[in-house]
Amino acid sequence: MNYNADGKVRMRTLQLVVLLVFGVIAARLVYIQLIDSRYEELARGNTLRSEVLYPARGEVFDRNGEYLVQSRECYDLMVIYRELDRAGFDTVRFCQVTGITPQALRRELANARMRPRAPRMILNFMSKEEKLRFDECDFHGFHTVYRTVRQYPRKVGGNLLGYVSEVSPEQLKRYPSYQAGEYIGVSGVESAYEAELRGKKGVKISEVDTHGAIKGSYMQGRFDSLPVPGSSIVCTIDARLQLFAEELMAGKVGAAVAIEPATGEILMMVSSPTYDPDELVGRQRGNHYMELLYNKRQPLFNRAVSSPYPPGSTFKLVQGLIGMQEGVLTPSMRYSCHEGYQVGRLKMKCHAHSSPLDLYFAVATSCNAYFCYVFRNILENPKYGSVKRGFEVWKEYVESFGFGRKLGSDFLSEKSGYVPDREFYDNRYRRSWNALTVLSLSIGQGELGCTPLQMANLAAIIANRGYYYIPHIVRSVAGRDSMDRRFYERHYTKVEPRYFEPIVEGMWRSVHQEGGTSRGAFLPGLDVCGKTGTAQNPRGKDHSTFLSFAPKENPRIAISVYVENGGFGAATALPIASLIEEYYLTDTIRRPWLVDMVKEKTIYYPAYGK
Amino acid sequence: MENSGIGKLFEGVDRWTVLIYALIVLIGFVSITSASYDDAGAALFSFSNFYMKQLVWMGGACVVAVVVLLIDASLYHKWAYLFYVIGLGMLVAALLFGREVNGAKAWFEFGSFRVQPVEFAKIATALALARVMSSSSFSIDRPGDLFKVGCVICLPLAVIVLQNDTGSGIVLVSLLFVLYREGLNKWLCIPVLFIGALFIFSFLLTPLTLLVLLILVCTLSEAMMNGLWRSRIVYLAALALGSLTLYFGMLLAAPGRLSLYGALLSVTLLSLLVVAVYAFRSNLRNIFITMGLFLAALLFVPTTDYIFNSILKEHQQNRILSFLGLKSDPLGTDYNVNQAKIAIGSGGWFGKGFLQGTQIRYGFVPEKHTDFIFCTVGEEWGFAGAMVLLSLFCLLIFRLMRMGERQEEPFGRIYCYCVAAFLLFHLLVNVGMTVGLMPVMGIPLPLVSYGGSSLIAFTIMLFIAVRLDASTRQFGFR
Repeated sequence: MNYNADGKVRMRTLQLVVLLVFGVIAARLVYIQLIDSRYEELARGNTLRSEVLYPARGEVFDRNGEYLVQSRECYDLMVIYRELDRAGFDTVRFCQVTGITPQALRRELANARMRPRAPRMILNFMSKEEKLRFDECDFHGFHTVYRTVRQYPRKVGGNLLGYVSEVSPEQLKRYPSYQAGEYIGVSGVESAYEAELRGKKGVKISEVDTHGAIKGSYMQGRFDSLPVPGSSIVCTIDARLQLFAEELMAGKVGAAVAIEPATGEILMMVSSPTYDPDELVGRQRGNHYMELLYNKRQPLFNRAVSSPYPPGSTFKLVQGLIGMQEGVLTPSMRYSCHEGYQVGRLKMKCHAHSSPLDLYFAVATSCNAYFCYVFRNILENPKYGSVKRGFEVWKEYVESFGFGRKLGSDFLSEKSGYVPDREFYDNRYRRSWNALTVLSLSIGQGELGCTPLQMANLAAIIANRGYYYIPHIVRSVAGRDSMDRRFYERHYTKVEPRYFEPIVEGMWRSVHQEGGTSRGAFLPGLDVCGKTGTAQNPRGKDHSTFLSFAPKENPRIAISVYVENGGFGAATALPIASLIEEYYLTDTIRRPWLVDMVKEKTIYYPAYGK
Repeated sequence: MENSGIGKLFEGVDRWTVLIYALIVLIGFVSITSASYDDAGAALFSFSNFYMKQLVWMGGACVVAVVVLLIDASLYHKWAYLFYVIGLGMLVAALLFGREVNGAKAWFEFGSFRVQPVEFAKIATALALARVMSSSSFSIDRPGDLFKVGCVICLPLAVIVLQNDTGSGIVLVSLLFVLYREGLNKWLCIPVLFIGALFIFSFLLTPLTLLVLLILVCTLSEAMMNGLWRSRIVYLAALALGSLTLYFGMLLAAPGRLSLYGALLSVTLLSLLVVAVYAFRSNLRNIFITMGLFLAALLFVPTTDYIFNSILKEHQQNRILSFLGLKSDPLGTDYNVNQAKIAIGSGGWFGKGFLQGTQIRYGFVPEKHTDFIFCTVGEEWGFAGAMVLLSLFCLLIFRLMRMGERQEEPFGRIYCYCVAAFLLFHLLVNVGMTVGLMPVMGIPLPLVSYGGSSLIAFTIMLFIAVRLDASTRQFGFR
């Protein structure tokens, strides 16, 4: 009896043990199935693979509807190791057809073997012809995947159009909407209009098994979406003009920019040396990129919008305009020049020309002394009490012409150039400086730095007689009514339009009158106005620059050409600008000998080490 | 009396047990179908599918169940030892001539299907144990009888361990459950469990700590049994004093020759002679049991490092280490358990539905139709489904215990408890490993996991219990 009672107690104890065991398991199930939601996410991560469908990037047209950038179809060659023929396949033929080396093929197949059911890319950027040839051979286990890459039919405007590359880790952090492996515009138009060109990714969600093999679409494709191609863009560029200008600039370092004054549209923009944008696409991209990156002439640097150059004599136009607005100069005012401007020991040299001379002729013949007088008068204007105050007023005028600040164009790499301010000289000369100290500013030398875009904009301002539209490269985006409103606003300078006529007249005479420095820019019937510049610099021969617009009335093109170490403005920059104007305005070249001469001219640049 | 022969045959059969058994097997079939169904693969009813094979095995199990019920209950008692010898023989034969699968030489192969004799050896051991313990002269408190019990359990265990199938062998340890029911002093059960735990955790502790813990556990449990506290404390103090004296004495005489561990060990071993004399003279025979336990543990525990490093295979070491959290390697050892947890955890309240479990169907869970079958239940039927299955098992175990309690013969009771113990242990280890409570040991979920020999063996095991119970009730009605 006692034993039986003991047995009951022990049975109860054991029942308790059983319940305890089940209780622990049930509690654990409650925790992992009901409380901890982590496992659900992990399960989803295990089985769902979203495949991104890349949209075709938007195309870019020039102002005449010609393709500047196209999207070309290309194919990635993929392999699924498990589906390869067991007996092996004809590798010799395979290598022949695809152009892959046997070593590379062996390496890629060894890699693919790691996850035999997952597709793995073994070759990219296959052309359509290669793909068709490959498909004919019918190799088991291989397939191709459609993608698009950039293609440049005209092969122009490397810096202008920019290029695309895979997003870098830093960009991935900054822009969370991008994923590794996607392309992003890096410079030029590609970068400035990234949002428009990019398009919208599509997604295809599939369920995969543990080997990565796709088992079907998730929820019958309820969450899938198709890619939306990027919007196409119409550029303000004239592709033929661009090509012509790039040919003319070849062999020289510098930049040329042409603007349509009535709209601010950039017709042509060359930064030399340039490169073939197609080089930055495809299998050899990395090699080409490194070559460009380590080229000492820095072809990837867009000089047209980023490089600050001394404007040289072209800046005299600005001095004359400010002088007239300030009332210290009238067009008929005469100063004498005896091969220079001399105050005490300071002497600003000038070339030989008749003297005394008025504003028209001073512009036409680019007299240094004349503008030294003008500049001194501006700064020493008794109205302002001191030279320093006068300098501040002068600086305000200069800035209203777009110098020393960013113009706000659609180039993200645009730089502001440099116009020194009062503090700069106060620091440099310990507050004791006067008009003579900074006299070199009068002829566009000294500390001044202007980008070729700013100089072209100056040409446009003079052509417009006092205002400009912000220079821009894009005319319209498909699906959008207008561009940013800042491109449609007139920006007036602080100089009244009536003071522009004498300057325009001076520039006209520079081309058309005996003694003018720009005689070479004469084009019959086109009334070209121009101004040469020759900028001294510490890096060797003078820089050659030329600023021009044409025709005189209702100008259609304003242009600035800047050639580093090109010597006199009339020697190198002027013929280039003149040929571009001729080609743009008349569509013909009447001076083939000049084209040949310009193209053959290469300048030696010791400063670039080449 | 008007019943036909067949009706008489099933008279007294516990319908609840049969019903629960049928339900569990059915759940197993559904789960196997889900785990091995491949819509892209072979034809629906092709016999290359696991679920079709399982269907055949289920038919076989029905036949076997009826056959078991047809055999007279007394035969099981009569032939218990014969079965035991046959079972042992099969194990040895498997060890000598068997086929190696997953590192364990524990399988016979007949054509296309394989049989694991361990499954049947379990039944034989249960019968033999019941036979030994039900003899009228048996007393569990007598060391000699306890030794017999130990032999019955440890002989197959030793062969199974030699087969390198430790996971299946450990199942036999669950028979402690039965011994407790049959009156084994709980102060023997507790140190056995404790030593088992020490075995698992031994590589976390230094040998000295282990030794001290062992001495304490053994002495205290002995004191609890015999109730003579004062002398035991004196004994412990004497051990401490003796070993410290020896240690410092050696430190002076021959520095560095004897560690504290060595000193304590030698003093304790010497003291065992005194203890043995004391036990003999004071007639406290159960002290010998404790001593035996201590010596066995001493052999095991300080040598665990040796066992761990040389006897356990690397993958087994890794499983234990990863279970203890000493080694984390998501794509290696932990991978299976992690994926199992993900599958079960993603089931939520009511699961994803039949054939909708992504983790199972796309092969993230390994061994999804055999050892990890519980993941299928957890993922496709959710918490609700898992709880239904667990409740069925719980009911079955309770039912078996109840059947055991209502037997008139101790033989039947002990046997029923053995079956309950096996089921409970399998369940704890198998489900425990899928939810991350237990290390991966590779034993199936009874009646649910795919596998013919396992299903047949558990059917036989269960229906012998039903048969024994039924005959008792037949007699009772008479």
